[in-house]
Amino acid sequence: MIYYLYDGSFSGMLTAIYDAFYADDKPDKIIKEKDYQENLFAEKVNIETDKEKSDKVYQAIADKISSKSLRKVYYTYLSEKEDRGTVIYKYLKIGFKVGREIDKYYNNDSVLKLKKLSRKVSGEIHRMLGLLRFKKTAGDIYYASCEPDYNILSLLAPHFARRLADQNWIIHDISRKQAAVFNQKEWVITFFDDDNQIKITAEEKNYQKLWKGFFDSIAIKNRKNLKLQRQLMPERYWKHLIEKD
Amino acid sequence: MELMNKLKILADAAKYDVSCSSSGSSRRNKKGGIGNAAVSGICHSWSDDGRCISLLKILFTNECIYNCTYCVNRAGNDIPRASFTPEEVARLTINFYRRNYIEGLFLSSAVRKSSDFTMELLLETVKKLRREYKFNGYIHLKAIPGADADLIEKAGRYADRMSVNIELPSRKSLNLLAPEKKYNDIISPMKTISTNINKDKKRLSSSKSVSKSRNNSGSEGNRVSENKNAQYLNKFVPAGQSTQLIIGASPEPDYHILKLSEGFYQKFNMKRVYYSAYIPVNEASRLPVLKRPPLLREHRLYQADWLLRFYNFSADELLDKKNPNFDINLDPKANWAVNNLGSFPVEINSVSYQQLLRVPGIGVKSARRIIASRQKGTINFEHLKKFGTVLKRAKYFITCDGKYFGGVPLKEELLRNRLAVGDSSQKKQLSLFADYSNVDNNFMDTANNIADKK
Repeated sequence: MIYYLYDGSFSGMLTAIYDAFYADDKPDKIIKEKDYQENLFAEKVNIETDKEKSDKVYQAIADKISSKSLRKVYYTYLSEKEDRGTVIYKYLKIGFKVGREIDKYYNNDSVLKLKKLSRKVSGEIHRMLGLLRFKKTAGDIYYASCEPDYNILSLLAPHFARRLADQNWIIHDISRKQAAVFNQKEWVITFFDDDNQIKITAEEKNYQKLWKGFFDSIAIKNRKNLKLQRQLMPERYWKHLIEKD
Repeated sequence: MELMNKLKILADAAKYDVSCSSSGSSRRNKKGGIGNAAVSGICHSWSDDGRCISLLKILFTNECIYNCTYCVNRAGNDIPRASFTPEEVARLTINFYRRNYIEGLFLSSAVRKSSDFTMELLLETVKKLRREYKFNGYIHLKAIPGADADLIEKAGRYADRMSVNIELPSRKSLNLLAPEKKYNDIISPMKTISTNINKDKKRLSSSKSVSKSRNNSGSEGNRVSENKNAQYLNKFVPAGQSTQLIIGASPEPDYHILKLSEGFYQKFNMKRVYYSAYIPVNEASRLPVLKRPPLLREHRLYQADWLLRFYNFSADELLDKKNPNFDINLDPKANWAVNNLGSFPVEINSVSYQQLLRVPGIGVKSARRIIASRQKGTINFEHLKKFGTVLKRAKYFITCDGKYFGGVPLKEELLRNRLAVGDSSQKKQLSLFADYSNVDNNFMDTANNIADKK
């Protein structure tokens, strides 16, 4: 078994894929260094991230397959699943052969696997666009906390930059200790681990109450269906919801 | 009255309106403004009944001059009454929106004083939101039956979607249960909305083509900017029109209701017809006594509605005068299929897309996947599972590479039983509202757009 180990970055993963395409002995697995567990029968190859190589792969996916595929590859990467590198590598092997037609290979397992993973990620992005809750803080900054399954901050931020363009806001991914921060002009992703400064105002408390009041009143009691509610809005997201907290 | 009380009363009074869709509009944020609309629509929460919450759904007032038998807000009911001011609604909307609680506003109303009086208040509210508060999020506005066409036309320039509820499936039932509401008072605002939507489409397409041709011929100046103005005049109800009717408060059969919906889709170009299982909120001799709201019937109607809009079925294919109601144990497509066994089985590897759509257990998505995948090789039975096909239903109606996997002869009674049994286990899990309150089939697109723009 040949293992390619990369540093965990998108660029690092694409570098590994680049090297794999040109290697005589093809890797069986492409995984993040930290995910690797010592294995007697494994032959390790450490991949050094190379911007030039990764740019080439990036561009080749867009040109030779499609921008849609590129997006799926990126989403799959954001899933942070241990086998994402291997899944993407296998997908691209087919993709570079058949080009944009790859979307039609519904019964190919490698294609299907990637589609499923990227769909999960894009599903969570969509869900989170609705479920994120901002709190107005004393400093006139709107603060939202979340713990998404996947690493999706970079895909949430552009939506809110367009939508809430006249607010300062922070979207905090608690489990990954990072945040997207927006100053009404641009957003950046930065290390963030300190929510002690977050002090909410009386006005904020009032609106939270109003929202809870609305939430309770809008349900039709004769049609109560808590199971369906949980199915559509999984409990793991409730912690950060004002109406369910 | 305290704002909290008002909100509770007027949200409670609005909850029977089914529509919560926030899709179909691509309104953009402008400089200095707040908000935009997402074409796919976004759900922000789910209430205890499992329905999606996308919009701040409220009545402007529940003080009503009418006394409709089925309605919780009827004048004769002894319930707390409240009215918002336009300013209160605007501020609530903006502040909820800034916190990402909602996708926008759904504003309906009882009829206070007169139709025009009420419609003017609604108009003032949406105008305030768009102009003063520079709000570019989604607005669904009710047109008040009997209101002046001019007011409706003005309001439509600020709304993304407008709707008038037909309430009951026939003039007769309306006369019986809502004697003060005239059928024409409901139909005429619908016409106003649909006419204006059509006019607007023409205006936009012609102004585009004119300005293009002018640009090509190289002429500039006033005339071009005139066209620009025409182009940038607010769109009229860009997310289209919808309506809602109550199921089970009056005796009309499914066939009648489906024909009515078909008419709405064809003649008024409606985006959606919503069905609402009747929930007894008042007692009256003219109303039926129901133990439970007819949720399963409502579900069957939604399924049939889907068949009209996305599967190219017509109402007359699904039901007729002899069989005017759906078999409650069978979904409408399966029902149609067992009544038309002559068309089956079809061969997955050669059947047309249109016919594929008519196979029970195969939806739009799996049909597309089958067609695409067919170009890359023969499809066998195992493959079908990967395409999202529901084989439990589909297997009786297809062959795969010449083989039949149904295991029983194509006989109506045999299939009816099997399909119904398969269905009854599902009954409890029916996600009654889930599939309908907000069409999210396209949510991939939103996510994709985001990645694009990044």
